[in-house]
Amino acid sequence: MFDTTRISRRFVLGTVAALGLLAAAPVQNSAWAQDSIKIGLVAALSGQSAKSGEAITRGLMIAIDEVNAKGGVLGKKLELIRRDDESNPGKGLVAARELVQREKVAVLFGGLDTPVSMAIVPYINAEKVPFMGVWAAGTPITRNGAAENYAFRVSAVDEIVDQALVDYAVAKYKSKTPGMILINNAWGESNEAGLKKALAGSNMKYAGIEKFNDADVDVVPQLTRLKAAGADTLFMVGNVAPSSIVVKSLDRMGWDVPIVSHWGPAGGRFNELAGASAPKVHFIQTFTFSGKLTPKGEQVFAALKKKFPEIKTTADVTPAVGIANAYDGLHLTALAIAKAGTTEGPKVRQGFHAIDKYDGLIKSYFKPFSSDNQDALGPKDYIFTRFVGPEILPLTN
Amino acid sequence: MLLMSAIISGLGLGSMYGLIALGYHVTYTVSNTVNFSQGSVLMLAAVLGYTFAIRLGWPMPVAVILALLLCALSGLVVERFLVRPFAEKGSNGWLMATVAGGIILDNLVLFTFGKEPRSFPSPLATKPVEIFGAGVYPLQLVIPVVGLAIAIALQQLMQRTRHGKALLAVVQNADAARLMGINVRGAIAGSFAVSALFAGIAGLLIAPLYAVHSDMGTLFGIKAFAVAILGGMTSAWGVMLAGLIFGLAEALITAYFGSIYTQILTFALVIVALALMPNGLLGRAGVKKV
Amino acid sequence: MQTRPIIPIAILLVTLAGLLVAGIAKGYTLFILALVAMTGVVGVGLNVLLGLTGQVSFGHVGFYAIGAYTTGILSLQGVSFWIALPLAGLIGAAVGFLLALPALRVKGPYLAMVTIAFAFIIEHGAVEWRGLTGGSNGLMGILPPSLGGINFGEREMAMLAVLLMGFAFALYHRLSSSAWGLGMRAVRDSEVAAQSLGLNPVTIKVTAFTLSAALTALAGALFSPLMMFIAPSSFPFFQSILFLLAVIIGGAGSVFGPLLGAIVVVGLPELLSDLAEYRLLFFGILLLVVLWAAPRGIIGSIAARFRREDPHVAANDGIDLAAWLKPASALPLVIEGLGISFGGIRAAHGVGFMAEPGKVTAVIGPNGAGKTTVLNMIGGFYKPDQGSIRLEDDLAGKPAFAVSRAGIARTYQTTQLFGDLSVLDNIRIALRRGRLGLLLGRSKADDDSALAEALLAFVGYTGPVARLAGALPHVDRRLVEIARALATQPSVLLLDEPAAGLMRGDKHALSLLLRRIADCGISVILVEHDMALVMGISDHVVVLDAGTPIAAGTPAEVRQNPAVIKAYLGGAEMQGRPRVAPWSGPADAVLATVNLTAGYGAAPVLEKLSIAVKPGEMVALLGANGAGKSSAMRAISGLLRPIEGSVLLKDAELRQQPAHKIAASGLALVPEGRQVFPELSVYDNLLLGAYTRTDLKPEEEVAALLHRFPRLRDRLHNRAGLLSGGEQQMLAVARGMIAKPQVMMLDEPSLGLAPTIINEVFTVLADLRDEGVTILLVDQMAVLALAVADRAYVLESGHVVREGSASELRGDKALEAAYLGHAEN
Repeated sequence: MFDTTRISRRFVLGTVAALGLLAAAPVQNSAWAQDSIKIGLVAALSGQSAKSGEAITRGLMIAIDEVNAKGGVLGKKLELIRRDDESNPGKGLVAARELVQREKVAVLFGGLDTPVSMAIVPYINAEKVPFMGVWAAGTPITRNGAAENYAFRVSAVDEIVDQALVDYAVAKYKSKTPGMILINNAWGESNEAGLKKALAGSNMKYAGIEKFNDADVDVVPQLTRLKAAGADTLFMVGNVAPSSIVVKSLDRMGWDVPIVSHWGPAGGRFNELAGASAPKVHFIQTFTFSGKLTPKGEQVFAALKKKFPEIKTTADVTPAVGIANAYDGLHLTALAIAKAGTTEGPKVRQGFHAIDKYDGLIKSYFKPFSSDNQDALGPKDYIFTRFVGPEILPLTN
Repeated sequence: MLLMSAIISGLGLGSMYGLIALGYHVTYTVSNTVNFSQGSVLMLAAVLGYTFAIRLGWPMPVAVILALLLCALSGLVVERFLVRPFAEKGSNGWLMATVAGGIILDNLVLFTFGKEPRSFPSPLATKPVEIFGAGVYPLQLVIPVVGLAIAIALQQLMQRTRHGKALLAVVQNADAARLMGINVRGAIAGSFAVSALFAGIAGLLIAPLYAVHSDMGTLFGIKAFAVAILGGMTSAWGVMLAGLIFGLAEALITAYFGSIYTQILTFALVIVALALMPNGLLGRAGVKKV
Repeated sequence: MQTRPIIPIAILLVTLAGLLVAGIAKGYTLFILALVAMTGVVGVGLNVLLGLTGQVSFGHVGFYAIGAYTTGILSLQGVSFWIALPLAGLIGAAVGFLLALPALRVKGPYLAMVTIAFAFIIEHGAVEWRGLTGGSNGLMGILPPSLGGINFGEREMAMLAVLLMGFAFALYHRLSSSAWGLGMRAVRDSEVAAQSLGLNPVTIKVTAFTLSAALTALAGALFSPLMMFIAPSSFPFFQSILFLLAVIIGGAGSVFGPLLGAIVVVGLPELLSDLAEYRLLFFGILLLVVLWAAPRGIIGSIAARFRREDPHVAANDGIDLAAWLKPASALPLVIEGLGISFGGIRAAHGVGFMAEPGKVTAVIGPNGAGKTTVLNMIGGFYKPDQGSIRLEDDLAGKPAFAVSRAGIARTYQTTQLFGDLSVLDNIRIALRRGRLGLLLGRSKADDDSALAEALLAFVGYTGPVARLAGALPHVDRRLVEIARALATQPSVLLLDEPAAGLMRGDKHALSLLLRRIADCGISVILVEHDMALVMGISDHVVVLDAGTPIAAGTPAEVRQNPAVIKAYLGGAEMQGRPRVAPWSGPADAVLATVNLTAGYGAAPVLEKLSIAVKPGEMVALLGANGAGKSSAMRAISGLLRPIEGSVLLKDAELRQQPAHKIAASGLALVPEGRQVFPELSVYDNLLLGAYTRTDLKPEEEVAALLHRFPRLRDRLHNRAGLLSGGEQQMLAVARGMIAKPQVMMLDEPSLGLAPTIINEVFTVLADLRDEGVTILLVDQMAVLALAVADRAYVLESGHVVREGSASELRGDKALEAAYLGHAEN
């Protein structure tokens, strides 16, 4: 008892001092003048989704280099500040607050995890700082019901993707009772809702819904249930590695069933992971570096190879959607800030709405954002593709 | 069909869990400590094997042996720097230190190996064979064999050989073992090397069925810990048996109740099983004297 | 000892400082402050578990999530936060209580696994129970609370979190100094002893778990209004590890440890946030650095450096202890037909006797006669198969804590003090007699302390009352344990070999003490080997052999009972056989120590010890308890390190050598307390004795040993742990012999053995000596040691005070009186 009392006295002093420092820090920070426009990114930079954060970073860096080479925006250089959210909404929100309040970022970019974006969106709406989603496809991120909505997106939207998946299965495979094999996380759940809605819209029933986890090695039991329930097509939602486990499990079962997939397989070397059956999977895409590239595509790919020596072939630039979405997202953001003439959030928001035309990597954007649609990509921007060797090639009906 | 394929899947998974869990068993038996970064060691073996065999194109046997040796070495490092400094002071800091070691290893690999999952091809995991109407890769049949062989070898080594008995002596009374001329520190360090070796073997066997990336070991590590505990920690047989039961439970629950219940029910079973058998399936309570 | 209000003031100051920061800081800092405070609250909750009851949980993120979902779900339903907050605590407590029931059947890593499984179940439950939890996509739009028209923003939430943290600190401080807190720490240190003080470990552990869960859920309850969004991925398993880390880094068991830990666990990642993807890597490295630098936690490590002990000694402040100790009702303990079998072997059968108030009743018998078994049945640790134990009610088969509450207290063969509690607290917790009162009830500290001191003074404990019981020397452990047993105001006091390992002077004091205890009207039941003590103070003696009573009566009657003499004493006096002709041999020592110095901490236990053993010689080390005899043996054999000076075996320096190398170079120590490998067979134990030999002929040599130790022959393939004490000692000696050592060292071979067995052991030692084995012997039975030895050293305070031939020392009456026990009979 006596020794602890001695300690406590020192300790109290120490704590007060430490807390005082913590309180003083931001005051000092905000006193610095800003000679650049800061762009924030909160994404998964470590852990199992680290690849997504890397792709977004690459897309942003290439685009920022281009903007800065042309003199920046409003005469200021763009500067990227990144934070790791560890795929945890709590961490993501803390990081977003730090970037907004201490770093004073003009626009905040979001990463792969829908729950992280969902945690950030109410906050940025309250703080009136524009948010640019370049990956997470959860429908409510942009359709969040806020009167003054600051969430923009250059990425897929699950509801639209799911409608496209259902349409494709019916058109291509005459599917009547599809089954769903979905990754057991928020993304899977969002698509479960989207697929159910799309199927209900087409007056279709489904054979069953099964979930699988990132670390599963064998999903034969789940697939066997779907087979027993009479599934004639599978809708697959999952990242590249678990998706390849689904394909391998199908191989082992000897069940040859059409697979219509979300864009997960495009996130890596699906052909390598899934083996011979990789081409059986038809998946939706917004962009790929494979095949014949537009001049813009050539230019960005060359820049990527130059900046990141580990990139040698188009198979090394995965996930292409992450890079492309981030690239276009950043350029659109730069245009919006230029239109606004300031980095004040409400003006930048109006700047987004005022963008007229931008020739991007994914497509040519024409009036991409309006106050009732803050998603730059629409139903027409999706194509179905499959792997042929290491290349992702478009499918034509 | 449903039952058969679930049983085959379950046994394959289960023997894999059992194999990893043997690693926990070895160090726990000798020193009452475990390496909580066991999952990371598993990953390390797969990553090293991939790097040597695929990236550098070395012959497979060389790659495998070198990867396993490096894993064993990592076990020695873990014991020396993450366990011994704490365990010898009677602190349970080793628990956190090995977790921290796992974080460091995972992240080092993330930045050196790359963030993309890679495939570790194996001739044993390309063409499935059919057993009782269910398709399996030959590798899935190799895993239980290796697991059982290791469990048997371990049991025999401990029960029959001089060094095995010396290990048992260390377990029961370290000071008295020292007085017999047994190098206790060496025995403990050795147990960590063996433990890491088992994780490494498991990693190399699992990699072709799965994908190689920095995060591949985490959940395996936790599930294998559940299996080790369920088996009773101190019995190699119990651990392998628990692995099979755990794997079967997962597959059967998935097959009959649906995958959304798998994790909830298997972990609930773990709690119930431990409440009924507080020392695991084949674990024995220490000699209790008042 | 007075408690100064420093900690409460510190809690107040920390809380006020937190509120001050919350008052002036801005957004992000406020947010971090709230997170630190919430993590601190969880840390306090875990500290109740880890610091007080010594249990580890990896599943607390589950309780945190339960709290968060409770307020999240309810606030979306429009329920006021101020209703949801306490409800979250209650739900957390209820779930904690339910989980504790299976969880506390298991220990150590098994408990860790149960809690891990719990965390996973909660996480997956939150994913799957979509109707309630919103599934993986979580709950959004959770509104912050309002109070009296003020809508809570970050600032108010941070203040609320700081207040909750202050509350948690106060709660922990109150709890840890309350009777419950003492009880929790007692259960942590020795569950067995806690039970025999009337503490119910299950109740105590479940309470700690429930409280811990409730605090964690309360902290979680603030999480959802602060974040305004929760999803299962907000509560990853990794978070549980961070919580635990906060407690371990801060220092388990200290009030403010969790706060320091929370600052590290929440603050460090924020400081590292600029490292982006390298953050976790550096966090892992920094964690290791902190763990290496402060393995006992930051507060623990600082405290260890500044530890000082209050020298206050126990004094009776005018309390009439004899009156206090006098049992209310003077009922005898009547035991009838008591029996128990273990695995078909009858350990006790038809045991019956009566222990009258105010009398000392001794239960004696040769080793393995079932004395301790009978004691364990009376004490409630074994459930008898038949018979009755009647005090007021029949207590046969009641659990230990119930037996204790009925008025039966006990001590143990190897003392079972609560090592991390002070001597005074050991007594104070016993004074509660299992009635801990309200969970946070003010402990009657001053009352209790005065009474506790009086009890310590009564038993003759003269050391500081603030000393940790784990640091006490052997004699004091015995005395404090007796005082602790008396603190329960027992009608019956059971003593299991209280004189084992005590010197003559101490034994004398002990017998006077037992007499005084009996004179207070307590029935004293004594199991003891020391016949002089037993015969000197007992009013009634019960003799057991092979589990059944063979005689009973006054000491004089029993002593003359032929059956007793035959069964117990074997007709033989305890004596060693001296050498026929005096020893002569080479003058060069085979084993020598030169200025050997060793110590635990500041006070050396060995100081410039110089002894020598010549080839073929048998040398004894003698001295009072604590003189350093066993430490010398441990230092020579390499178990005690570091040492200064020299240890030379055949002129080879052993100072830097580890124990296993010393053993291999030809020094065998038969350690104190036998230390056979309990789970291995007798045969395997023997073979391990020859571990370093390469020329072993197992069959032949084991056969030779069995010839010398015929008692081991039938047991050769049994587990050594099943052997009786005497058989284990034989095995330990045989295990030393098979190493064919240059020098064989024996540490207390007679400890705890019956006289006939002691004679057997010493006959073997005399044989070995006559065969030319070099022996260094430490034994409490000095006369016996001097009978077989050629030469002896007398140690005092870690150095040699006398040295001479055994015959010289045998005649030295003054020395004998001062240091030596008699081989009395």
